[in-house]
Amino acid sequence: MTWTIARKEIVANLLSYKFFVVLLLMVLLVATSLFIMYRDYSGRMADYQLIRPDPGEPIAVVAPNPLSIFAKGLENAMTRSFEIGVVGIDVRAGQSSGNVVYAFFPAPDLLYVVRVVLSLVALLFGFDQISREREQGTLKLMLSGPVSRARVLLGKWLGNILSLAVPFLLVTLLGVAVLLLDPDVRFTAGQLGRLALILALALLYLAFFLSLGMLVSALTRRAATSVIVLLFVWALLVFVLPNLGTLVARQFVSVPSVRALSEKREQTWTREVLLGISKGENWAEHMRTISRENDRMEEDYRLRFERLVRLSRNINRLSPAASLLDAATEIAGTGIGEEIRLKGEVVRYKNAIIDAIIADQTAGKREVRYAAFAYRPRPLAEVFASGALFDLAWLAVFNILVFALAYAGFIRYDVR
Amino acid sequence: MTDPQPILKADGLSKRYEDGVLALDNLNLEVRPGEIYCLLGANGAGKTTTINLFLGFIPPTAGSCLINGIDIAKDPLEAKKYVSFVSENVMLYGNFTARQNLDFFARLGGRENLTKNDYALAMRRVSLQEKAFDQRVKNFSKGMRQKLGIAIAIVKDAPAVLLDEPTSGLDPKAAAEFLEIMAELRTEGKAVLMSTHDIFRAKEIGDRVGIMREGRLVMERTREELRHEDLNRIYIDYMESEKAVPAA
Repeated sequence: MTWTIARKEIVANLLSYKFFVVLLLMVLLVATSLFIMYRDYSGRMADYQLIRPDPGEPIAVVAPNPLSIFAKGLENAMTRSFEIGVVGIDVRAGQSSGNVVYAFFPAPDLLYVVRVVLSLVALLFGFDQISREREQGTLKLMLSGPVSRARVLLGKWLGNILSLAVPFLLVTLLGVAVLLLDPDVRFTAGQLGRLALILALALLYLAFFLSLGMLVSALTRRAATSVIVLLFVWALLVFVLPNLGTLVARQFVSVPSVRALSEKREQTWTREVLLGISKGENWAEHMRTISRENDRMEEDYRLRFERLVRLSRNINRLSPAASLLDAATEIAGTGIGEEIRLKGEVVRYKNAIIDAIIADQTAGKREVRYAAFAYRPRPLAEVFASGALFDLAWLAVFNILVFALAYAGFIRYDVR
Repeated sequence: MTDPQPILKADGLSKRYEDGVLALDNLNLEVRPGEIYCLLGANGAGKTTTINLFLGFIPPTAGSCLINGIDIAKDPLEAKKYVSFVSENVMLYGNFTARQNLDFFARLGGRENLTKNDYALAMRRVSLQEKAFDQRVKNFSKGMRQKLGIAIAIVKDAPAVLLDEPTSGLDPKAAAEFLEIMAELRTEGKAVLMSTHDIFRAKEIGDRVGIMREGRLVMERTREELRHEDLNRIYIDYMESEKAVPAA
């Protein structure tokens, strides 16, 4: 009986004008997004070929991540070069400052398409599921048969999520197949697995909005009312709450700006150099002092920043859009957690290089070659343990909760 | 020989809405196999409320609705296996063909193994033209949609049929065809409960006719009793009387 209703929904969607408009929109958006992000990736790859260090240079650069085509996250910040010198790590001007959550919004990656546009499309599939059937009189006829309301709701949900998911997956996978024609875009098996996980997350997110549409439809008598209510809720969930959380968190945690950090670093350097010149002491000791003080400052910054991110994330989780964003970027290896880890690795690399510089200088070596920076992204298990699994489960909870509420609304729905 | 058990039975049925309006007041009514019961009454008399209570769309305030002996409020899914419904304005899925609509609602009614031929037979029975079988329903006239609504009831093959003002808005020819189908359903042994404003057709087709006023069944006559009476006059008398007396 559930499948009978699901099949009816699929056939009704296939026969509707709405479905073809949505399909066209999906093709256009996904194709445009993949093309723009592919060009972006290619540009970064070209830059990487130029800036990648020669053997022996103390520069930390990671290669662009092909999964950033789908979930850009903090890829720009992660693929910049970190030059190691006597004053520490050269943090370049123009890099992201303050709360990096803002940096998520502009990139028109697949994640953005899903988060903003396809969530609206999912609402379009759900907003009139109950009220339209009542308005056109078919709900009475449907419920005059021996079919429970739970089955009707489940059948409708199933039919509509399939109507949404199948074209989305087909269009996306077709896009991936086209990307693979370029020899510069290479996915490892692990990255393809991660892409599958990101798509699964996207479907979970879209399922939430479909259920939300059905919930509001089950609480309203007219589809027109449902549209207005849902537009308000959508704007709240997709735009207001994720930004509100970040703003609120900033009231409780203060984080110095990158500019202030840079100034402080310069001051330390100047002080130690002047001390070295005036007192004629061993310069190696001053280098260690500069490095130590910088590390302490970086550590303080890192702790504050992590606290800000944690608080922002927890508040933002009121919106499933934030959970999708966090989990998908972390799985892609472009999330905040990955960026923090990369920074930690760069600091460790810097300390090793400074030790090597001092040792080489002490030994009187003139031509020195330093070890190359090697970075391996976190394994998936670690990504899940650090919050992605929670976000995945949280999205599932959102789904179950909203569907249960839709059921509760439909049970009380006056079909007359 | 004893009368067969009623398929449809309202037992002390009352309904008071949340706004305090008493829409139905202690209704007692029975419809047996092979019987057509026509409920007459003005708008707001309680006819549609009775149908909605039989379909379990609203819960009764008191009393019970039994379909084939099953209380709709206690076991709605089981009770609905034994009843078909045709509304005043049969609305179907406009983008679906007549056959697709029939197939969907037949499956929902528990008839999952019907063939194309079964659907064609049902549509022929209600005099739907062959060329309409695979046409989209959005192009159908009201009469054609009503016929398809009855075809849906026919394929479900339930022992009871509920009809809520089914002839409203039909042209005389379509209404006459409709009555023929009702007569066939009676011959097949279906228990038919039909709410209507159409006094003349109620007298023509009804084995029993009840008049409702302000939620109460104020008159009930059999076909035999009505044979030599003017139902139109009786109806007007009951509508105009100051205080209606409930039917025994």
